Amino acid sequence: MTEKELLKETTEYTGVHPQKFALWVAMASMTMFFAALTSALLVKKGDYQEWENFKLPDIFTYSTVVIVALSVVIQLALVSYRKAKFFLFRSLLFFSLLLGLLFLYLQVTGWGILTAMGKPLTGNLSGSFIYLITSMHGLHLVVGLLVTIIFLVMAIRSRKDPIYELRNIINPKRQLNLELLVGFWHYIDAVWIYLYVFFYINYQ
Amino acid sequence: MQTATAEHAHVATGHGHHGHDGRHDHHEETFLTKYIFSQDHKMISKQFLITGIFWGVVGGLLSILFRIQLAFPNETFPILETFLGKWAEGGKISNEFYYALVTMHGTILVFFVLTGGLSGTFSNLLIPYQIGARDMASGFINMLSYWFFFTASVILFLSFFIQTGPASGGWTAYPPLNGLRDTGVNLGSGLGFDLWALAMTFFIVASLIGSLNYIATVLNQRTKGMTMLRMPLTIWAFLFTAVIGVLSFPALLAGVVLLEFDRLLDTSFYLNNIVINGQLLGYKGGSPILFQHLFWFLGHPEVYIIIIPAMGIVSEVLAVHSRKPIFGYTAMVLSILAILVLSFIVWAHHMFVTGLNPNLGAVFTLFTLLIAIPSAIKVFNWIGTLWKGKIRLSTPALFAIGFVSMFITGGLTGIALGNSAIDIQLHDTYFVVAHFHVVMGVSAFFGMFAGVYHWFPRLYGRMMNETLGQIHFYATLIGAYCIFFPMHFMTGLPRRYYTYANFDTFNNFNHLAVFITVAAIIVFLAQFLFIVNFFYSIFKGRKLEGEYNNPWGGTTLEWTAPVERLHGNWPGDLPVVHRWPYDYSVNGREYIPQTEPMKPGEVAHG
Repeated sequence: MTEKELLKETTEYTGVHPQKFALWVAMASMTMFFAALTSALLVKKGDYQEWENFKLPDIFTYSTVVIVALSVVIQLALVSYRKAKFFLFRSLLFFSLLLGLLFLYLQVTGWGILTAMGKPLTGNLSGSFIYLITSMHGLHLVVGLLVTIIFLVMAIRSRKDPIYELRNIINPKRQLNLELLVGFWHYIDAVWIYLYVFFYINYQ
Repeated sequence: MQTATAEHAHVATGHGHHGHDGRHDHHEETFLTKYIFSQDHKMISKQFLITGIFWGVVGGLLSILFRIQLAFPNETFPILETFLGKWAEGGKISNEFYYALVTMHGTILVFFVLTGGLSGTFSNLLIPYQIGARDMASGFINMLSYWFFFTASVILFLSFFIQTGPASGGWTAYPPLNGLRDTGVNLGSGLGFDLWALAMTFFIVASLIGSLNYIATVLNQRTKGMTMLRMPLTIWAFLFTAVIGVLSFPALLAGVVLLEFDRLLDTSFYLNNIVINGQLLGYKGGSPILFQHLFWFLGHPEVYIIIIPAMGIVSEVLAVHSRKPIFGYTAMVLSILAILVLSFIVWAHHMFVTGLNPNLGAVFTLFTLLIAIPSAIKVFNWIGTLWKGKIRLSTPALFAIGFVSMFITGGLTGIALGNSAIDIQLHDTYFVVAHFHVVMGVSAFFGMFAGVYHWFPRLYGRMMNETLGQIHFYATLIGAYCIFFPMHFMTGLPRRYYTYANFDTFNNFNHLAVFITVAAIIVFLAQFLFIVNFFYSIFKGRKLEGEYNNPWGGTTLEWTAPVERLHGNWPGDLPVVHRWPYDYSVNGREYIPQTEPMKPGEVAHG
């Protein structure tokens, strides 16, 4: 039986690879996590008389732009991988990694700006929630970064062996792994956009 | 190195399909990959089961210790000091340790035994076997799931040996008691609770990644012919359990994260105007009720995470051992689905006395009582399955019948407690303790025992001892009723008290308390019959004869695989399914395996 037939055997029912399906389920689960955090915020905002409203620092807008860019770049990396343009693939993957680190840097700077604004972590609950939610999102992002680093290291180590790279491209498992990673990044991106809009509405 | 990586990737691709040919011959198993870091669902299942048995003994032992305190509050037992040291100075369990015992008993039994041990064992064992898959969607993630569980177990166990003792603020971890590291009153709120939270975080991750694997496997990797409506009820139960877990555990994780923010980073999500030793602390604006909402948003579905797998196992075991098709298959599936949906909208029935708006309480009462309908349908169908069956009273069947008995007994008191007007009177009394122990504690244990006795031959290729099993069953059934039935009548006796000696009102329950404790000790000791039987039978049990053996005469696919453990489950092609899993006593045959094609003129069930 060929690899293709083997894959077909496992995707007979839903048409997607089981591991990709598992990622979707994981996304549903992570969504529940962020839903719990944001609904906790809504509950507190509703019942706490001394909730201090303030405008969200602009830096979170910049980080939004960065993470959207990351999503685009890593998608292009996947496309170039499929087209067997490995140099482009490695460069774009490296660029995504830089964007991810930049996003983290912006988030941490954002915390500094919040503190300087007189909204420290331990201050009014309205501020604490921003630290809480951004840090939990950041933690998910760090996982994405770590996996990206592993992919990058593997890609760089194989750069001197074009035959090996070509073998990878026809290896459905390697493609699948990359697709899973890219899917995870799009999800992290989408969660941040949700959080950004959520903050934007609730902090004015 | 590169070639090795490529080969590894290659093996992983074909991972779900070992055995088609000799390709995997180079994939040598070492002791480490076979027994420790195994990616094989059968081995992971055994790992979960044995870890669960370990926790069962620990959790049970803790309850014996606090039952001794409850029955004999004025006596001393020097032997306790020998073993527990400063926690039982003078041979009497200290109040600090009493609360630690109760807290850890709850945590261990609810999460580490009845979630990890039950769902982990049987989802792993039965999902690939019964749907006809070579393994889980991702064997690697499955392995991670166990090792996260193992790490959680180690952390929780270590917390017994730190100086301030394990967490002691209740398994529900309510703030503000658990919201501060130094409360000045509760030692267990210190490091013990941080370890508890860390262990729970690992546990939740283990449970989540396990569950998403189960869901992906059931929905994607069923063999040819295994349509959804031809799946055994066990698989439906594990699927729905995993769905509940995936959607509700994140809420608990969020709750615990906020709690640790309060504890370690001094935020005030749950804390407001706390006074300790006459000193007002700076926390402002938080609300402990917020934690209760997050906690019970998991906490209530959690009881279904525990009981639904047991229900699935019981459905299967009852049909096999009464040699009759399950009664009302579709109704069984739909009623689990109904329970799944309702489980998410009833959490506030744990919070009727928190100052919840009574109108809201009425809504939650309504949804709670609605759960009685699917539950009753299931009970009716189990009895319908037994009705006029050729029942074999083997140990698994006895435990399954015991489950039905326990579930009815405990379910009836649930109707009383689900009603906000009655709950306000009964809240925090032993009536509640009796209710949940019977309906989800003992019942789930019965489901688990039924499963272990029934699938032990599938796990180890040997049978468990029947006589010991029967004694184990009767001792546990009678004993469990002796423990929990009297608790219903300890009117108004509050839970969580260290001693009732100072309250004359409760004097008349003293003898009952002694009776319960003695029964608990007997039941606890009776469990060693099971443990001895289990470990003895692994090595010395009666061996299954022949290459293929189906000791109970089951129709499902796990019995079509060879007795010998095989990575990939089936040596040749995957079995093909032609019929539903409950063709017992039809067409003049005792049972017809799912793999047997339909005869001309035969009417399909599923």
